[in-house]
Amino acid sequence: MTDSTVIHIEDKRDVTFRVHRFNPQVDSKPYYDDYTIKLEKGITVLRALNYIKEHVDPTLTIRAFCQAGICGSCAMRINNMSKLACTTQVWDELEKTREPGVIKVDPLRNLPLIKDLVVEMDPLVDKMKHYTNWVDSKMPEEQWGNKEFLVSEEEFQRYDKATDCILCASCVSECTILRAHKEYVSPAVLLKSYRMNVDTRDGSHELRLAELVKDHGVWDCTHCYRCQETCVKHIPIMDAIHGIREDAIERRGVKDTSGARHAEAFMDDIGKKGKLVEATLPIRTNGVGWTLKNLLPMAVKMVIKRRTPPPPLLVKASKGIEKFREEFREMIGHVAKDHEKKSGE
Amino acid sequence: MKRYAYYQSCINESMTREVDRSIALWQNDLGIEMVKLHESTCCGGSNLDYVSPKHFALVNARNIAYAEKMGLDLVVSCNTCLMTIRSAKKKLDETPGLKAEVNEILKKEGLQYQGTSEVRHLLWVLIDDVGLDVIRQKVRKPLGSMRIAPFYGCHILRPSTVLGKDNPLEPTSLDLLLDALGGTTIPYEHKNRCCGFHTLLVAEEESLNVAAEALKEAMDEKAHCIVTPCPLCHTVLDGYQSKALKKNGLRGSIPVFHLSEVVGLALGYSERDLGIKRHIVTA
Repeated sequence: MTDSTVIHIEDKRDVTFRVHRFNPQVDSKPYYDDYTIKLEKGITVLRALNYIKEHVDPTLTIRAFCQAGICGSCAMRINNMSKLACTTQVWDELEKTREPGVIKVDPLRNLPLIKDLVVEMDPLVDKMKHYTNWVDSKMPEEQWGNKEFLVSEEEFQRYDKATDCILCASCVSECTILRAHKEYVSPAVLLKSYRMNVDTRDGSHELRLAELVKDHGVWDCTHCYRCQETCVKHIPIMDAIHGIREDAIERRGVKDTSGARHAEAFMDDIGKKGKLVEATLPIRTNGVGWTLKNLLPMAVKMVIKRRTPPPPLLVKASKGIEKFREEFREMIGHVAKDHEKKSGE
Repeated sequence: MKRYAYYQSCINESMTREVDRSIALWQNDLGIEMVKLHESTCCGGSNLDYVSPKHFALVNARNIAYAEKMGLDLVVSCNTCLMTIRSAKKKLDETPGLKAEVNEILKKEGLQYQGTSEVRHLLWVLIDDVGLDVIRQKVRKPLGSMRIAPFYGCHILRPSTVLGKDNPLEPTSLDLLLDALGGTTIPYEHKNRCCGFHTLLVAEEESLNVAAEALKEAMDEKAHCIVTPCPLCHTVLDGYQSKALKKNGLRGSIPVFHLSEVVGLALGYSERDLGIKRHIVTA
């Protein structure tokens, strides 16, 4: 056997694709079909699925256009992770399979299923519209077409990474909170809102922000970082979500929503004791009524198990708290100066 | 005896006091000493970073600087504290201007943040420093036939650019440790998913749905218990368990253990000494 033959055998093998199938017009429930095909190394999952559709089973429904990681239309769950089929190598996936040689392919989650591997994108588009996710130009209408709206390099840097989003919805599919509540704004929409809010040409900032802080908005994110981890363009989506929150606190204060009040409690407690005063956190976040209604039954159980957090007076401050308080206050001065500088720009 | 600066997480000083209590019991058996850092302050709990990014950098530079002063690594036993302090460290190490600004303020108490101490989870120390072979030798009561659902929690895995120890899609560290303790872990989808803790007070319904789904899968897979390296995950999965299940029309219950408790159990300590009786769900 020559060396070249060895390479040839190693680089070609049988691969099974276990593909989610469901045609709502004829099937009562979803099922999986196994397709085993001989493939060469270097083939993407999308090419393999296209081969299956053309040569094995023409009823298989997939959605794909550019085949180059640009259009975002072929996002699906491959071995339980949302990603683009067109940029995913079969050989890479073979290393991650639970069953040797079997690659599992499912449609995206958190969006309504149309057929097999294709989901409905309308709910995502509707949310984009709901949060006014386009540049609503500040320029007076009479100047339109007569004048350029210039954006400096520095201004563009603020949302450069966010513009890499191709709306593939992989992050939407992996989102913890969207899975728990379908009305949640979702990560791709938050990313786009952030991108619009920091655009210096945009005039709908306050309006958009007012919508984002409502129920099912920016404060409902649970910081699980699944969106960021799955992003096919490696966009730091959580930075954008935190960016909206930072902006909301700066422009709208810390009292208007439970999310802002909750976040502010951390700042308050750290500045005073260096430690979080957990016993009063629910009241400071949601008020006495909510706390009694929602947490009283649990509080009783916790008292029995001696699990209740200590009352505020018994929370021991960190050692060296006096010096720390001075430092904390000094930093408040630095932040105030930063704000002055920013608003003077 | 290898020494570490031990970061005092707010929750472990209030609701989940059994974590520090169990570590104190067995640390000598494994040849490690956790020196409590009484100066440490709250890390910001994944909130301070957007209320005031500069205060976030200041408090965590100070937390790490105290460990550096002792020449020790900073060890943390709460996932969110781990992720938060490591995020601050990354920011400080990548932004010389911020580091200088913070250090100018920290001079007040004779501190300097250098970036020399690592910030590590207790789980990582057990695996990388104590070693699985040593742990295996020290086990007196193997966890045995119990089917364990390992629940890693988010902030020991994600963002991987900050954590980087486990593959967030297929984490193994907790499974390896539980195996060394003589336990049997089960594969299940929720092992790297979220518990819902961080929205408990802001979007309770969503959080309870998240928790219920995780608990349901563990019970459906016939796990006898869940083990987590994070006291926040424990608070949801144990403390809010009956509320989450009830809200979702589910029945049953499943005990949830801290990582530090199962280490103690395997080393021969009693449930009472480890503080397991303090759990809401009876183990």
